Amino acid sequence: MDQLELLKQNWKQREQEYPKLSYDQIYDMLFRKSTSIVKWIFIISVLELLFWVGLYFISPKSSFEVIEKLGMKPFMLAFNVVHYIIVLIFIYYFYKNYVSIKVTESTKTLMERILSTRKTVRYFVIYNVVAFAIALVVINYFYFTKSDLLMQALEESYGIIPNDPQFLTIFLISQIVVGVILILLLLLFYRLVYGILLRKLKKNYKELERIEM
Amino acid sequence: MNKELEHSFVTQLEENQNIVHKICRLYTNDADAHNDLFQEITIQLWKAFPKFRGDSKFSTWMYRVGLNTAITLYRKSKRRVETHDFESVSFKITADEYDDTVELQLRLMYDAVKQLNDIDKALVFLYLEDKNYREIADTLGISEVNARVKMNRIKEKLRTILNP
Repeated sequence: MDQLELLKQNWKQREQEYPKLSYDQIYDMLFRKSTSIVKWIFIISVLELLFWVGLYFISPKSSFEVIEKLGMKPFMLAFNVVHYIIVLIFIYYFYKNYVSIKVTESTKTLMERILSTRKTVRYFVIYNVVAFAIALVVINYFYFTKSDLLMQALEESYGIIPNDPQFLTIFLISQIVVGVILILLLLLFYRLVYGILLRKLKKNYKELERIEM
Repeated sequence: MNKELEHSFVTQLEENQNIVHKICRLYTNDADAHNDLFQEITIQLWKAFPKFRGDSKFSTWMYRVGLNTAITLYRKSKRRVETHDFESVSFKITADEYDDTVELQLRLMYDAVKQLNDIDKALVFLYLEDKNYREIADTLGISEVNARVKMNRIKEKLRTILNP
């Protein structure tokens, strides 16, 4: 390749053509904010972790009352204990992966670390969606089998007096519809945010992998 | 961070800033993007600097951080309109000693390199910087044999771009 060799020979001589920044200009840059994808991934991941942990706290008190009145408390307690242990394990792995991201690694290792940090959070979200779906099914099963108690609890906690015979069906269907919409929104969010953030990285990672094939 | 560390870092970066500029020019298409990427590479270098132990040369260490930032960490800002003016202005004829054909060939070659994907560009860049295949392979995290094979393929690719 003659032209590439020609460019190589000229490469050093071209150096004076590049801009020259002063000491002060470089010094100022040390205190600016990074806009790297790792920073964005970290922010978004922490928000996701907070969102799923926080969801529990923003649930209205009255819904816990309903659950209690239906005799589901032991189930919910066991569910929560297991849930928080799993959350802690996820946070540990997320942190461990995150601190292992080092810009001084080889390009391939760096990409792998970023992708595995992302994967931890993705699994966390998948876990939450599945747990959410299971809880939805179990709770609705309770509602369905103890519909008398449910009606009673709804009346006491919310002041709803259902007299429509179709009420229970509508109630259950609306629960499922809301659940499905939530899951769809989440998937959309995923496609948008990570699609944009990680598109370049994934493309380059595949390119590197192809070299090794 | 203490002043001494800051001073040592800035002095070394000022001395070796050409490496960063070369990466920026290869991976961006206008002055704003160039400055943006330079800034990001500087921040990444600075963040990694306390762990830099000096068992390799400062410049060697810069290649890795610089390329990793350009390939992996840097996100182009969307609002910018990309232009190619910057490139043509800066890589223009500078000395009389080159005749026009040589200059034209250099320009065409450089433009062809810029059309490569991010990974191929990194290989060519390190090759132009006269790094050996061991270093190229280490920087990218691939094997030396594969780096060599890949470089030959890229040369072919460049040939196709220049003579379609």
